[in-house]
Amino acid sequence: MKKIIFVTLFVTLLLISSSVFAADKTEVQFWHAMGGWRIELLQEMANDFMALHPDINVDVQYTGSYGDTINKLNVAIQSGVAPHVVQGYDIATQMLIDGEVAIPMQDLIDADPEFDIGTFMPQVLNYYRVGGKLYCMPFNSSNAVMFYNRTLFEKAGLDPDKPPKTYKELYEYSKMLTTKDDKGNVEQAGVCWNLHCWFFEEFMAKQNAALVDNDNGRTGRPTKAIFNSDAGLKVFNMWNNLSKDGYMINTKVHDWTGSRNLFISQKVAMLITSTSDVALMVKSAEENNFELGSAFMPIPEGAEAGGVVIGGGSLWMVAGKPEEETKAAWEFVKFMAESAQQIKWHTGTGYFPVRKDAVEDLLAQGYYSESPHNLTTIMQLLLSTQNYNSNGAIIGAFAEVRNAVESNVQKMLNGDLTPEEALAAAEKDCTTAIRDYEGL
Amino acid sequence: MRKWIPYLLLIPTFVIIVLFIYIPAGFSLQTSLYRVLPFGRGMNYVGIKNFMRLFSNADYIYSVKFTIIYVALTVISTILLSFLIAIQLIKKLPGVRLFRTLIFAPYAVSPAIAGALWTFMLNPVVGHISYFFQSTFGIQVEWLTSKPHAFYAIIFASIWKILPFDMIFYIASIQNVPGEMLESAKIEGAGVMQRTWKIIFPLVSPITFYLVIMNIVTTMFSSFAIIDVMTKGGPGQYTTNMIYRLYLDGFYFQKQGVASAQSIILISIMIIVTLIYFKFGERHVHYQ
Repeated sequence: MKKIIFVTLFVTLLLISSSVFAADKTEVQFWHAMGGWRIELLQEMANDFMALHPDINVDVQYTGSYGDTINKLNVAIQSGVAPHVVQGYDIATQMLIDGEVAIPMQDLIDADPEFDIGTFMPQVLNYYRVGGKLYCMPFNSSNAVMFYNRTLFEKAGLDPDKPPKTYKELYEYSKMLTTKDDKGNVEQAGVCWNLHCWFFEEFMAKQNAALVDNDNGRTGRPTKAIFNSDAGLKVFNMWNNLSKDGYMINTKVHDWTGSRNLFISQKVAMLITSTSDVALMVKSAEENNFELGSAFMPIPEGAEAGGVVIGGGSLWMVAGKPEEETKAAWEFVKFMAESAQQIKWHTGTGYFPVRKDAVEDLLAQGYYSESPHNLTTIMQLLLSTQNYNSNGAIIGAFAEVRNAVESNVQKMLNGDLTPEEALAAAEKDCTTAIRDYEGL
Repeated sequence: MRKWIPYLLLIPTFVIIVLFIYIPAGFSLQTSLYRVLPFGRGMNYVGIKNFMRLFSNADYIYSVKFTIIYVALTVISTILLSFLIAIQLIKKLPGVRLFRTLIFAPYAVSPAIAGALWTFMLNPVVGHISYFFQSTFGIQVEWLTSKPHAFYAIIFASIWKILPFDMIFYIASIQNVPGEMLESAKIEGAGVMQRTWKIIFPLVSPITFYLVIMNIVTTMFSSFAIIDVMTKGGPGQYTTNMIYRLYLDGFYFQKQGVASAQSIILISIMIIVTLIYFKFGERHVHYQ
């Protein structure tokens, strides 16, 4: 008898409590792809939001890598259990637009007089605007930057105030920074970046070169890849020469951690990685007793001035949710894009603030004079030429395009293909993928 | 009354199999004939175009060839090694029980963790194995990013992972081989090699028969995690097998139609291999 009373009591309590929560709070689910310490940082930001909006409960879920998150979203949309807000990565932009899964952010912005998109950085908006329309809320923006070990530069007799600017200098510096034992094994290498097509894209944009036709897919849907150019060959040759001569260590595909660890453990003197690593690099350099330097991405001698392309992710609001929930989700998205949150995110990670007023505030607080590496990254973005090439390509089949470039680069590094052959094969494979996606 | 009770008891299993195996398999067969757009935007009938494109795709043909070599090498090595180790492990030596327990550990580790473990040990800079090679032979090997080392690494990790499973079965079956038979063979003057290969190996052939099929299934379908964690199919698709290719197309490029076609091809190959194996392999099996 006692047991029955206990169970009944427990069940009633459970029912009451759940109905109380359900009645009071609007639930907003948020899926993101930011691993490591950033999980807590995002949770903190969501907690701050909930403190301001006691009637909204934000359920923050880490859903694996960017690719995994899109994959999960694909299934969730079809079975009707998609979250309200999802973080999509840069290269999924066209696929998400084509999927018609989201409420275009532009519509929400236009309907909300409080919100001023003019405060956002034009570089960021240029990347995410497709056909003049903003489909998602820029949130975490980054691009590629070079970090170098000033201590190792000094040891090798190089001036730590003069990081390499050109491919030629990159090669010469790497040569001087590489040490080998008497058997010819590399003990310390010059440079490293993880095997990722993103770096190829950045190297191309820095030379003001396009990846696909129709102005990088910005004035019409792309129909073919066009990177088998002089600029493309320069990148492939540089990559191949550095690796062949043992001045560069290559990781496996997308091994961000692997390349970071090589730099942190001082096995390589220069690292090209994402600007989102600034906070981590500053901390690691202190822990491992070396002086950190940061520099812009190198370019070939005499190359046309281009710029870096925005990478990272943005927030998408899934369509078809009840109006009240959509409103709550919009409040959350707006909150995440506010200056205060963007400053917190920028200083906690290294991702750029996506707003001009956030940069202004940080300048006034003297933040950039204390954090020179954050200044390097933001200056590289601000000094970038703005055109279709530096705005980045818009390709529906971007994931496949990246895979095609990466696998041909690997074939080149393994000596199966010459740089010319690898570049031609990559362009051909990318065109096939693009035509397949576009149904051509 | 009696007649329908067995059917009644089979219903739960049957429902589960139909729901989770036959319906999805039927769905795969259907989608393999369509071009499926991501996010449920619709699907267009393309007939056998998905299959035609796969067979004219050099990368896909390569992944089929790679799968055959990978499966053959892994399965043959695992069977031989596990048989030989099992023979040692049934001897009454001190500490053999402890050793048996320890050697079973890899089977209990999940494939993804096994992959991560090997990735770490094979890291060219901080890995234990790389350190060993460098200090003993003075060579620096990029195990996971260069040819043909990435292949060796994958094969080695796969064998290490499946070996304990086979070994347990062999230990049990070798212990069942009648002692009198071996003793009389010994008296007749049969050496260790003869006793092992002419008596023990044929007598455990039903187990070998079962293990070969199980190992083929494991290496064909479950090798995904090890490859994903260790090499991501690289360098340059060098270690991309059929199941990894399927994953890339289905879950990375969101091309469900093509991926379904691949799963149909994969299952067809499996059916053909099994049929041939049962037809010709079973002749050499001795049931006691």
